[in-house]
Formats: sequence, C-alpha cells, structure tokens
Amino acid sequence: MTSTVSRAHAYTRAAAGRLNAPRPALVESSVDGTPTLVNREAVTVVREEWRVVDRWWTDDPVDRRYFEVVLESGRNVCVYRDRDRGCWFTQRA
Amino acid sequence: MIACLVIPGFELRAALRSRPRLALAPAALAPVPGREPLLGPVTAAAEAAGVRSGMRLGEALATCPELVLVEQDPAAVEQEWEGVLRRLEDAGFAVETVDPGVVVFETGGVERLYGGVEAALVKALASVGAAWDPRAGAGQRRFVALAAASVARPGQAVIVEGKEEQGFLEPLPLSLLPLPSNRYAELEGLGVRRLGELASLPGGAVEERLGQDGKRAWSLARGGERHAGANPYRVRGRSPAAELAETLSFPEAVANELTLRRAFGVLLDRLLARPERGGRPLRKVAVSAKLVGGGSWRRTATLREATAERGRLRAALGSKLLELPAPVTELRLEAVELADHVGNQLALVPPEGAELDGRLREGLRQVRASTGTGSVCAVVEVAPWSRIPEARALVVPRDV
Repeated sequence: MTSTVSRAHAYTRAAAGRLNAPRPALVESSVDGTPTLVNREAVTVVREEWRVVDRWWTDDPVDRRYFEVVLESGRNVCVYRDRDRGCWFTQRA
Repeated sequence: MIACLVIPGFELRAALRSRPRLALAPAALAPVPGREPLLGPVTAAAEAAGVRSGMRLGEALATCPELVLVEQDPAAVEQEWEGVLRRLEDAGFAVETVDPGVVVFETGGVERLYGGVEAALVKALASVGAAWDPRAGAGQRRFVALAAASVARPGQAVIVEGKEEQGFLEPLPLSLLPLPSNRYAELEGLGVRRLGELASLPGGAVEERLGQDGKRAWSLARGGERHAGANPYRVRGRSPAAELAETLSFPEAVANELTLRRAFGVLLDRLLARPERGGRPLRKVAVSAKLVGGGSWRRTATLREATAERGRLRAALGSKLLELPAPVTELRLEAVELADHVGNQLALVPPEGAELDGRLREGLRQVRASTGTGSVCAVVEVAPWSRIPEARALVVPRDV
C-alpha cells in the first residue's frame, strides 16, 4: 500500500462568504485513492463514494471524488480529493 | 479587622501532595503548556540551588540540572484549596478567596469567641494545619493584611494597628503591589524600590508615567485603596460550595471523543439524580480529569441561567472535552454552585408573532454588540440545485 499526504492552500472567506466552504484536510490514502487517515484519525468504514464533475466548459472546472467515511471516534466526515489541484478537503455534502 | 492568610506556592504544594518526597528535592511547578516557559513556584531546595519562581525554564535547568519539573495539577489545587476553605469555615470564619493560596476574612465576628484578634488568627492558622506553612496578617485594610501576612514567618500572625500602617508599609518591597512584571523593572530603573518611596511621589506624575495600574498601586502604598469593586472595609464571605461530585475511573487511559462524551453523559445523569440536589438547578459546573502522564485538567462553566436540563448542560460543558490535552484515566463532574430556587417562572402564553420577532431582534443586537459588526449573518440560497455544495448558499452580513 502506498500513501500520499497532501495539505491544500488556505481557504479565505470574504465578508459575504460561501456557506459550507471546503476546508483543507490532512488525508492519507491507499493505492486505489480511498482515504485511510483523515486529520490523523483512522478511517473505519467508507460509507459512500461519488464523483462531481461540473463547469468543465469554464476556466474553473470542478472535478472531485467525494468519500463519506466513519472515523475511529465514530464521527461521520465527508472528504473529497480535488483532482485538478491534487489536494484533499473536508466538506458537508 | 481584616485578616489575610497566605500559603506561598500553593499550586506547587498541592501538586506535591501525592509525591511528598519531592518537597525536599529541588523541584518547580512546570510552565503552563502553550504559554511563555516561565517557572511557577519552587521548593526551598530549588531556591537554595539558585532557582527562582518566574525564571525561564532553560536558565533554571542550566542553573540546577537536577531540577524536577512538577506538572500543573489544577484539579488537586481546587480540591486542596476547597479543603482549606472548609476548615476555616468550620472554625467560624466567613472567607473570601483572592487566589488559591490567599484568603481574606473579617475577624470581627469571632474575636469574642476566641478572645481577640491574635487568638482568632492563631485559630485560623491551626485550622489550616502546619503542613501548609500558612502565614497570617491583620490590619484595617486588605492590602495591609496581605502585606502583613506576606512578611510573617510560617505559622506566625502579624497584626498591624491603624496608626502603625504607614511605618509598616514604607520599607516593604514593591513586589507586594498588584502590578505587571515590567512595571517593577520600570520603577526599579527610576530608583523606586520600596512602598514608602512610591508613596512619596506625586500621584499625578505616577499616573502619567504608569497609567491607571500605577495610580492604584500608588494609592495602595499611601493607604487609599478606595477604588471601585473592592471595599476595603468589607469582606464578602463566600457561599459554601455544594458538595456534589461524580467520578468515573477508566480501566485504561481514554482519548476517544465518543467514549469521553458518553462518560460525561453518565456522570451528568448521576449528578442530576443525586437527592442532595433537592430539585435545585445548577449555577456553576466544573469538569475535571486526571491525565495519563500525571497532572490534571479542569474547566469551569458558570451558566447564565441556572438549569438542570440535561441538553443545556451537555452543550455548556461537552464541548470543553475537546480541549483535553492528553488521554484521561479519570473524569469528574462537579456541581460547584447550586441556585437557591427550585423552579423557573414559565410564561403562561408562549411568545409569538411580533413579540417573538422583537426578542429575536434584541438577542441578535446583543450578539452584534458583543462580537462586532459582521458577526450576524443571514443565509441566502443562490443555487440550491447545484451539485457543488459551496455554490448552493451564501452567508451575507446582516444589519439587525
């Protein structure tokens, strides 16, 4: 199993900000891209996985692979990998 | 008269209760994690080796390589201090805590009982116990009582009569004054080292140079002490703390948030079920823990409105569990203060319509007043159908 660790750019929020903006996450993933460690906490179960590909016709395309996981502490967390930037984020989907 | 009882280095002494051998070795209270690495109180052996309280950690270890650092133990401090206060209260003193290790009380009510001020102070010292090395002082003012207790030897009581105050205070060091540490250095640089020297300066000049803190210190050194919030002639005896606490010990150290929250829920249920509560809601609650590497952790919450509702108590204290610095071996929940009433006055007709709007508006106005402009926002849906979660709604600052 190989693992990759990524830390994304800080996400700034303006006065009129976006609700539910993604936050950079520290994620280790297995060779098939499934997260195994989220913010230093082990992943127990991957509940769901889906892809969002949108705005491909614009200068700011969206290509994300989402995972809904359950961590060791029992928390449900949603993380995604931004395929263009190669970074991981957490977000409530 | 106003009396003051001082136990120097109380935090260290309380932390050393479980390791009494260290009291005779060079030891010091470790710096608070996340703050400037300055030592807390030190033992006599450490002091003899050249280590001083407030010294930088690196400098202290270079001065005395065998120095033992004792972990901060706020739960033990709270517990031991409560024991000291209770013993004083059992002897008839209405006590007011200044800091852990410093307490003031009036001797007026007990002088006839014990046969004078000195006898009352001797009784107070005896009730605290010689193991703590307490010192007592008495005077017409709090500051004089504190100064007298600070110069007394262990187990000794120093009484300063009104007419002797000025002469007593004059040769004492400035460190007795409640000033930030940089101010002492500033005053020393100006050649002012004693209370008498500070008191002889013009008040206006002191205020101009040192600000409000300096003016207050000058006023204390001169015998003023009449400032808002502390009446020099009155000590407000505390209401004795409620003796309601529940403890849960874990067979092995726990750091899992879910387990800790469940344990907290169990403790809360047990505490609320205690018959001693007599239906009274909780006003002040404390949660504390014994940490796996030694030391302890404690957080207190004073509720704006006394309550016995499980959900509200969980919301007030549950989030504090996230601040735990290490895995815990024991979790403790304590009702520090109970309200006097047993019921809440409920509204006959629940508010609705314009009244409810008005209340909400007032609540938001208060939030904005305390947290600043832009803190109250409204959620505006812009593209609820979007597949991209952050594109569905915006948070827009709202003027109430």
